[in-house]
Amino acid sequence: MITKTVDVAIVGGGPAGLSAAISAKKNGAGNVLIIERGENLGGILNQCIHEGFGIETFGEALSGPEYMQRFIDQVEENKIPYLLNSMVLEITRERKLLVASREGLIEINAKAVVLCMGCRERTRGQICTPGTRPAGVYTAGAAQNFINLKGYRIGEKVVILGSGDIGLIMARRLTVEGAKVLAVVELMPYSSGLPRNMVQCLHDYDIPLYLSHTVTEIHGKKRVEAVTLAQVDERFKPIPGTEKKIDCDTLLLSVGLIPENELTRNAGIAVDEITGGAIIDERMQTSIPGIFACGNVLHVHDVVDYVSMEGDKAGKDAAEYSLGKAKMEGAIRVKPGPGVRYVLPQLLSGEEDVLLSMRVISPARNVKISLIDKGRAAKTIMKPRVNPAEMIQIKVKKGELAGCKEITVTLQNGK
Amino acid sequence: MANKRYVCIICPNSCEIDVEYSGKTLTKISGQTCKRGDEYVRKELIAPERGITTSVPVRGGSIPLVSVRSSKTVPKELLPNLIAEISKVRAAAPVKMGDILIKNVLGTGADIIATKNVPRKQA
Amino acid sequence: METRFDVAVIGGGVVGCAIARELTKYKLTVALLEKECDVALGTSGRNSGVSHAGFYVPTGTLKAKLNIEGHEMMPAFCKELGVPYLPVGKIVTAKEEDEREYLYKLKGIGEKNGCKKLRIIDEKEIKKLEPNIKGIEALHSPTTSILDPFLLTIALAENAHRNGACVRLNTLVQEIEQKKDGFRIVSNNGNYTSGIVINSAGLYSDKIAAMVGINDYKIFPCRGEYHILDKNKRNLINGAVYPVPPKELGGLGIHLTPTTDGNIMLGPSAEYLPEPDDYGNTSEVMDKLFMESFEFLPKISRKDIIKSFSGIRPKLIPSGSKAPADFVMEESRKVPGFINLIGIESPGLTGAPAIAKRVSAMVKEIRGGLAENGAFDPVEKSKIRFAELSHREKSELINKDPNYGLVICRCQTVTKKEVIDALNNPLSARSIYSVSKRCRATLGRCQGGFCTPKIIEIMEELYHTKTSDINYAGKGSELFTGKKEGVE
Repeated sequence: MITKTVDVAIVGGGPAGLSAAISAKKNGAGNVLIIERGENLGGILNQCIHEGFGIETFGEALSGPEYMQRFIDQVEENKIPYLLNSMVLEITRERKLLVASREGLIEINAKAVVLCMGCRERTRGQICTPGTRPAGVYTAGAAQNFINLKGYRIGEKVVILGSGDIGLIMARRLTVEGAKVLAVVELMPYSSGLPRNMVQCLHDYDIPLYLSHTVTEIHGKKRVEAVTLAQVDERFKPIPGTEKKIDCDTLLLSVGLIPENELTRNAGIAVDEITGGAIIDERMQTSIPGIFACGNVLHVHDVVDYVSMEGDKAGKDAAEYSLGKAKMEGAIRVKPGPGVRYVLPQLLSGEEDVLLSMRVISPARNVKISLIDKGRAAKTIMKPRVNPAEMIQIKVKKGELAGCKEITVTLQNGK
Repeated sequence: MANKRYVCIICPNSCEIDVEYSGKTLTKISGQTCKRGDEYVRKELIAPERGITTSVPVRGGSIPLVSVRSSKTVPKELLPNLIAEISKVRAAAPVKMGDILIKNVLGTGADIIATKNVPRKQA
Repeated sequence: METRFDVAVIGGGVVGCAIARELTKYKLTVALLEKECDVALGTSGRNSGVSHAGFYVPTGTLKAKLNIEGHEMMPAFCKELGVPYLPVGKIVTAKEEDEREYLYKLKGIGEKNGCKKLRIIDEKEIKKLEPNIKGIEALHSPTTSILDPFLLTIALAENAHRNGACVRLNTLVQEIEQKKDGFRIVSNNGNYTSGIVINSAGLYSDKIAAMVGINDYKIFPCRGEYHILDKNKRNLINGAVYPVPPKELGGLGIHLTPTTDGNIMLGPSAEYLPEPDDYGNTSEVMDKLFMESFEFLPKISRKDIIKSFSGIRPKLIPSGSKAPADFVMEESRKVPGFINLIGIESPGLTGAPAIAKRVSAMVKEIRGGLAENGAFDPVEKSKIRFAELSHREKSELINKDPNYGLVICRCQTVTKKEVIDALNNPLSARSIYSVSKRCRATLGRCQGGFCTPKIIEIMEELYHTKTSDINYAGKGSELFTGKKEGVE
């Protein structure tokens, strides 16, 4: 067994991990090590060849690989070492990591750890779609990997379930590569994708969008032969009599992302069941001191720039932790109230200005978001439009938190 | 006289911009909150443009494909021709991010550039 | 190409493979003909994976006899084949007063059949054995065990192959002609002549029998749906738990069964089908299956379901019939040399070792004696599971072969070497199914989303597999419709 000691270990070399690593280095951490399971740094953005990344960070709409190259260049410039093809098998409370690599089994003792494992896709098995289990059912990300990294054609006549951004991007990608996308099917009465993707991925290619619909059956013995769609009611239950069978050879699923927190749970770190990620304070620190989390493993993001910002913060705090700079514990609890699905971080110290990240439950216009403590609004902001697919960030000054014990973030009609 | 509602795609605000137009002449515009949005809608109505991102096969590379994009937007109706033109290209490793694979594609003034580094395949 | 064998076994399920292997203990040329791309793709790969103690089978039947014998033989059987066998035990629980009677009935049947160690336990002991299960009384069967039906069937087939059997996959029997000295079998993958034919074709055994004019049998397919739960809920139960089936009509009567790989299965249901080939899952049953399981074990949630599947029982009795049917396991009187195994539903898996011995005795009888094969090696080495090893063992393995250091399947911690070994199987079965059932990759919570591209990369690296040959489970289930033009 190989043993290593590092100041900050970064689990995952995607957008969150690279940001965290660069930030940790810049903020004085001695030795930083990135541990990446893939063949290259860059994570999921290696396969996101479409544009739209970096508007906030660089003022440019870059493709995924171009965005990541900016960070990879900084990793090289800062001479931050990284392990590739190396999988973290286990993380302990004492911040010991067990890593499998071709060079051997590695035990890493880290002063601080930043969890940047990203997320995985919800599967057909998890949504229990009835019917047979033929070949030709793909999750959107897996399909994206096959098409953009390997050059395979995954199918010729495609139905896509889920109108989130990944589904919409894949609708366009498949069309550009010569496949016929027959329909995008969405359970909700509205699309959860960004409006720009609706325009550029569906409208441009005349791909029909079936709102308030779902796939009620997959047909085909060995390969997909058709899917049955049906309209759904307000409780999302299929309405009998509305079934429509569509002949196709591929079903693409874009039905949600799930933070990959197996390592997190096994380490005994407290996980928020709504976000699917660790419970953190404003330093991105989890319930185990010295272990931080950021990016999609913490909560699923829509804009990679915010992932990089989170990574930047987590890296800074991980560096400071590794340098022994003690900070006050977070004692102010933050909870989602009516209309709000979740708010991060869940714990605040009140010592620093913070950036809250939140998502609402349903789309709404002209709303008032309030931070309520003991019946009093510590802060209020107005928003002309909110929707669940777009993360909202709220800057809160430490002064605004003075005297607060437990903050509930609520959404109300903002008249 | 016709009316149309556009959702601006320039930034995440996604402003809803309403226009009144006759043929290709815009007579009224409202809902935009910045100049870029105003420009986008005018262009979208009269001469919509789009960029393209796709992949090109690489010979002798560490990976089989290099991702590419257009350096600027082109008239929307030329997209199918662009895609056809790009599909004829075969790149050879090593490819550097920013390499121009097609210069001034179909006379649009846009280049097709590599958005990834693809080194030569290791023996 | 015509090849001649002493015995041809039709059907590569657990029973067919066990028979083929048993026959290689003798100086016989044996062929095993399987229509799918690998073994265990029929009923043998779609069940609860339980070695039953023998109290669910009617006394005095062949089913009961083979159940008890098979259950007894199973631990040593699995050991020599290098496959897992876990005596986790089972409890059948009563929660109402009027359900106690059912427990005593089962115990009585079991003991009459020859079950050992069945006991009735009280509420306190139920709590001790299964802290998350409520019951006022239960029947405890400590010897009931779980095994992996894929690994078992695969080991049987691979061992048979190693001992000289000719295992022909992708071989669908289309016609059988009775000849003077045996049978002529026509398939879509070569023609064969054989002195003896063993029909262990499961759901199609009636159709195989009909090929030689035996029309006395009809299979009534009865589908059972299952849910598989995420491994992080494994600890909710220790052994198998079966509540007493509900008296009211429409209740499914659920079973909770742990698997050797660390999941829990809910199911099966029961629904008669017109044809033996619809392996779909239905929303009504999936819903019911979950709700009934949830009532019984409230700590599970819908989010825990990682996959659903179904299996089809080859029943010899139609829906609504009260008379239970026994196994048909005999040499046909009409067609000598043709041995039929028909209606082999549960306890077919449990009975497999005993069935193999019984059928080999039939073959001996037909041939008037069998000479032993001195070179027979019963042992199949068990597969290395990197995920289950200690840190030190992991470290040593990687030092020996760096491909153990590259984790391919994140959810199940399966390494590249294990995938390579799975691909290099002696049957040359190279579908994703074949890989997954041997090394457990793709079977975790992400259901292959992460590792399938990597498995395909390894396939291409090792065999330069053509794109059109990459499939899930044989021809017709290809993953891709081609490659982008110009891609190497």
